Amino acid sequence: MSKQYLTLHTLSGAHPSDIFALAPTPKSILSASGSSTIHVHDTTQADFPLLQSLEGIHPLGIHHLATARDVRRAASAGFEGKVKIWSEGEDGAWKANGEISDQLKPGDVWAIALSADGKYLASSSINGKINGSFGMCIDLSRDGRFTASGHENGSIYVFDNDTGRLTHSLAGLVKPVRSVAFSPNTTLLAAAGDSRTIALYDVKSGEQIANLAGHGSWVLTLDWSDTGEYLLSGSHEGKARIWRIETRQCVATHSHGDKPLWTAKWLPKSTRSEMFALGGGNNAISFYREAAG
Amino acid sequence: MDAVIDSDADELLFESPLLSPPDSQSWDLREEYADDDILQDYFDDSRPLSTFELDDQCEGSQGPPTVVPTRDWVIGRIESMLERIVDGLLTESEQLTISLKTCSRLSRRELGPAQDTGTIPTPKDIQLSYPGNNAQDARRFTVVVRILELIHCCLIDGVVMTKRYNMYYRHPDLFGKQSVVDRYVDDIARTLGVSRSLLNVTAAAKGLIAGNFSILPQTPFRSNCFFKGLLVPTMQAGDTLEMSCVHWILVIEKEVRPFVASMIQLTHSQATFRSVLSSPLWNELGIQGLILTAKGYPDLVSRKFLRELADNSPHIPMYALVDLDPDGMHILSTYKYGSLRLAHEDVAHMDIPGVYLPNLQWLGVQSHHINRAPGNEGDTATAALADVQGVMKLTARDRKKAHHMLEWGVCGEHGSEPTWRAELQRLLMLNIKAEMQILDELRGGLVSWLSYQLEVMQGGSADDEILF
Repeated sequence: MSKQYLTLHTLSGAHPSDIFALAPTPKSILSASGSSTIHVHDTTQADFPLLQSLEGIHPLGIHHLATARDVRRAASAGFEGKVKIWSEGEDGAWKANGEISDQLKPGDVWAIALSADGKYLASSSINGKINGSFGMCIDLSRDGRFTASGHENGSIYVFDNDTGRLTHSLAGLVKPVRSVAFSPNTTLLAAAGDSRTIALYDVKSGEQIANLAGHGSWVLTLDWSDTGEYLLSGSHEGKARIWRIETRQCVATHSHGDKPLWTAKWLPKSTRSEMFALGGGNNAISFYREAAG
Repeated sequence: MDAVIDSDADELLFESPLLSPPDSQSWDLREEYADDDILQDYFDDSRPLSTFELDDQCEGSQGPPTVVPTRDWVIGRIESMLERIVDGLLTESEQLTISLKTCSRLSRRELGPAQDTGTIPTPKDIQLSYPGNNAQDARRFTVVVRILELIHCCLIDGVVMTKRYNMYYRHPDLFGKQSVVDRYVDDIARTLGVSRSLLNVTAAAKGLIAGNFSILPQTPFRSNCFFKGLLVPTMQAGDTLEMSCVHWILVIEKEVRPFVASMIQLTHSQATFRSVLSSPLWNELGIQGLILTAKGYPDLVSRKFLRELADNSPHIPMYALVDLDPDGMHILSTYKYGSLRLAHEDVAHMDIPGVYLPNLQWLGVQSHHINRAPGNEGDTATAALADVQGVMKLTARDRKKAHHMLEWGVCGEHGSEPTWRAELQRLLMLNIKAEMQILDELRGGLVSWLSYQLEVMQGGSADDEILF
């Protein structure tokens, strides 16, 4: 059964180059690109106006951006090798709140994820400090208990944050893994990449429980809806797909141009209908809303 | 004289890793000694029963013959030599012999203190015989006959060949090592009393061009012909370029199939060589344009020549096809800006002021060329490449270089090359790179892809013309 999502609004030319990362907050969305600036757009108004620009913060461009779920904190990682931390004040303005740059060389830190409470930042590394292969993606479970990393050699690792131990080394994807994401209740882990299929794993047992096939190109991004009912994925050829987890079927496909769709994110559910945002190589951010009914 | 000097230069090139030719692969030092045998007994006269003098016109002299040697003259000399060997075989001579003048086997010790003062030593006559005293003699004889044959072919076809690609690589097992080719080529040139260039043989060639253009006035070699492959010439004052058939100029990073065969007739196997040369697509495409490769980072001669072309025919679009990796983009920038790092700051600081190509357009390979998925329309431009073997991971060096290049002014946020910046970032994001050979994996191959891309680009410019 398919589902209808309507285009709400498109911010054309939101950035002058590829949008590599989107990170939502309850009322806004932060976006980062190959430019040095983070933009903050209001997601409560119909035309998604620009609220703030954090200019010139990573001169060589920004490859990753993350927000904490429950607090007003964000982290950005730039091609020059720095990770910067940002906080939203009571007035709604974002300000620099320190940076992590101790002896980091460009590329030491690659993917980043913030814990829901904003207290922890997980990062993957290019030189593969975790078992030797480039850590291309990382996620922290919403309850803070697990970290998952996806690697260029196809490995997926799940770590227990309390013990610091590797709990699972997940098989199944031989090719580079470009995105990993825990479901909101931490029961499932979704992982995908160059193999084009999305693998679903049971976090507790480490068993692979499903394969979602349909993308015709590398899968670059994954995100779970707030309720965990749907999974949003984006591919290198600019296609977004929405999968219903219960039936493991693709219920909607949207095209965001033919350029890489680097990032696809659900917005935190605030109204009746769910919304998501897409950003990628066409320099635009598009917002979609579930059709009423 | 030329030959002697060239010989020394080559020895230097091949012995010092720092001066190794830009296209060189690393020399296998283990071979270094294995093949010295072939040179070792060079002087052992084996009392030939019949001797073929290579060159009776300039006997006893190493200078040029009194008649200025021409291509036809050289061809004639080589043909008469080869004929005499064939005759010798036909008449069942007991021994075939070739006489050569050589300098290269004279050691410092042999020269003695008086001669060891930088003067050019007098060449020594030596004889190669078949059958000789041992297997090495037979091999030496074969080497020389084969080299003569190769030179003859090139002279007849009017193409230039390199000692490395066109000679050594054809029979690495026969020649054993590069220096064997180098020495015998020089000896042949010395014996004929001509410069090596008159044999259409060059050291590791750097820039090569092919296409439908002429340089006037020049020697008969260079005018009014469709070039299949020529070393990039240095334009002399008064030379004019005839470019009326050229609709585009393409600069490629390196020799790749099928350009390889077309440009310098490089070949490891003759079958491949012939099939590619006879590719009707290439013939069709090649007649419309001019292709140049400087094999990696371009040399000044190639860049200057392109600049001449740009000045001479500013209306002809110039495109670049390089690997999709930081080095490929650096090569692109070297063609376009010269020494890139300073280009944005002060043109006068460039290594050679003025030798840049501001209108050079980047044809490929770009990341969107490899992101097409199967199931789309299956024409050559959208065929799947993402999963073919040619897509590779970036190395640590690649990533470091890419980061470094992002700091260049032209790749800056407000620099003149936003596409370069974006492509570098995409490579880093995906951690992939791809050589241009990957396009050959497409249906129709590289020539077909190129033909399509050029059509698209030309189509764009045609629209512009309509506006005016």
